[in-house]
Amino acid sequence: MTDPTSATPEGGSVIHDLGYRPYTGPRLGPAAIARALVVTGFRNAFGLGRSGKSKVLPFVLLGINLMPALVIGGVMVFVGLKRLPIGYAQYASTTQVLLGIFVASQAPVLFSRDLRHGTISLYLARPLPSSTYALARWSSLLGATLVFLLLPILLLYAVALLGELDVTDQTRDAAIAVGLALLLALALTGVAGLVASWSTRRGFAVVATIAVLLIGNGIVTAIQGISQEEGHPRAGEVAGLFSPYSLYRGLMSTWTDTHGPTPPTGTAMQAAYLVVLVALSVACVAALVWRYRRVATA
Amino acid sequence: MNRTILRLSRQALLGRRRGIVLVLIPGVLLVLAVVVSALTSDPSVGYEAVANLGFTLALPLVTLLAATAVLGPEVDDGSIVYLLAKPVSRHVIALSKFVVAWAATMVFGALPLFAAGLVLDVGDPRRAAAWGVGAAVAGTAYTALFLGLAAFTRHAVVVGLLFALLWEGVLGSVLDGIRWVAIGAWGREVAAAISSAVPDQSMGLGYAVVAAVVVTVAALWFTGDRLRSFTLRGDE
Repeated sequence: MTDPTSATPEGGSVIHDLGYRPYTGPRLGPAAIARALVVTGFRNAFGLGRSGKSKVLPFVLLGINLMPALVIGGVMVFVGLKRLPIGYAQYASTTQVLLGIFVASQAPVLFSRDLRHGTISLYLARPLPSSTYALARWSSLLGATLVFLLLPILLLYAVALLGELDVTDQTRDAAIAVGLALLLALALTGVAGLVASWSTRRGFAVVATIAVLLIGNGIVTAIQGISQEEGHPRAGEVAGLFSPYSLYRGLMSTWTDTHGPTPPTGTAMQAAYLVVLVALSVACVAALVWRYRRVATA
Repeated sequence: MNRTILRLSRQALLGRRRGIVLVLIPGVLLVLAVVVSALTSDPSVGYEAVANLGFTLALPLVTLLAATAVLGPEVDDGSIVYLLAKPVSRHVIALSKFVVAWAATMVFGALPLFAAGLVLDVGDPRRAAAWGVGAAVAGTAYTALFLGLAAFTRHAVVVGLLFALLWEGVLGSVLDGIRWVAIGAWGREVAAAISSAVPDQSMGLGYAVVAAVVVTVAALWFTGDRLRSFTLRGDE
């Protein structure tokens, strides 16, 4: 193949060559395209660069998510508490419904629209492999989810430091919470992205993601409650492996002193929680890449 | 009611993947009920947990899926104009769509809850029936409300989720007063009136029933009214 950037050589012109000069300047590679895609996707997840109406939903959700942290901060300042009333890691567990709704409602923005409107073929016509496209979209969602998860932690941390709580303790707790948040975000965005790329109808994708995340969590919580009542905590520990939220709670019980029902006991079980959470994320992202490879070749 | 609209809505509802998820949610609930009743000897253990899961999570999700499926996709891709261009009263369109979504809610939302109750404790059919009837009442009001949302905003699904899960679920468990304006609590009140095994909400059966009826009728009328003055907007 001839270099598409070079000018048509003398005498080699075809009938529709009007003699315009082609672009001969430097061209950025796939890395630059992927980077641009990640940044645009991240902005789009919050409605930036889109219509005013699409900004409402993500920012309302973000606002509701931050409200408890603001209230806690205000209470701490005015009452002069000497410890945070809620752990950094516990915060995401308390607001898990909001978190689920945010991830579920913004994943279709990134994954469904290009598939539904067929614009995916325009992206794939560029020198960008379908797997890079899938990973770029997923990174955008991951970034947006991390903002959603980390802002309250940051806010609580700032309040704790300004309230002159013990810096070492707070920093350690906050760092653990950040690590846990990263693990949770990996799993949630993987699941949500996979569902959104499988279903191109927006509303349907949202409900399906919520059903997977929250009904899964509800079932696990029910089993954990029953197994604790019946005196078989081991069954509850095993059940905890089957939902991202319960995995998060299990790891939270392991690494902090906030405990959920039937926390994993023993190093093997605790390691299993970590391994399953990471494996779930990796599997979802791999399925996502595979899905877009199918789209690209179809 | 219009039979053609009924048929088309039913196809939109049960077609392909949406139908699968609509069956999967109650299916998972029933499987959980079977597993719990097989593993526990005492029927009282786990009954509350499974019934609560079905009532607060599975029922609103099935209803939301059904109510937005009969209207949402048409609004999304703009094909609703062909329906609205027909000489059929908009209120009749709203009612026809409501009937389809309502039937789906009863079959995939309320009936499985009754069946799960029977599986968990076959000796107390009254308790199972109470949950079933409570779910039917709540499901009816939910269906009308979510249909109204679907006619009102493109983000009907998310708004509906925020209402059912955040307002009624998370906030409702912290602030007791929310039960006066929570559809799920009305359904529980009706269930408590049938069987004393269901914890009652202490708001009076009369209030619960009247509130559910008022919300259903008002939301249905609102849906028809929204369709009457419908503005088609482009994709965002």
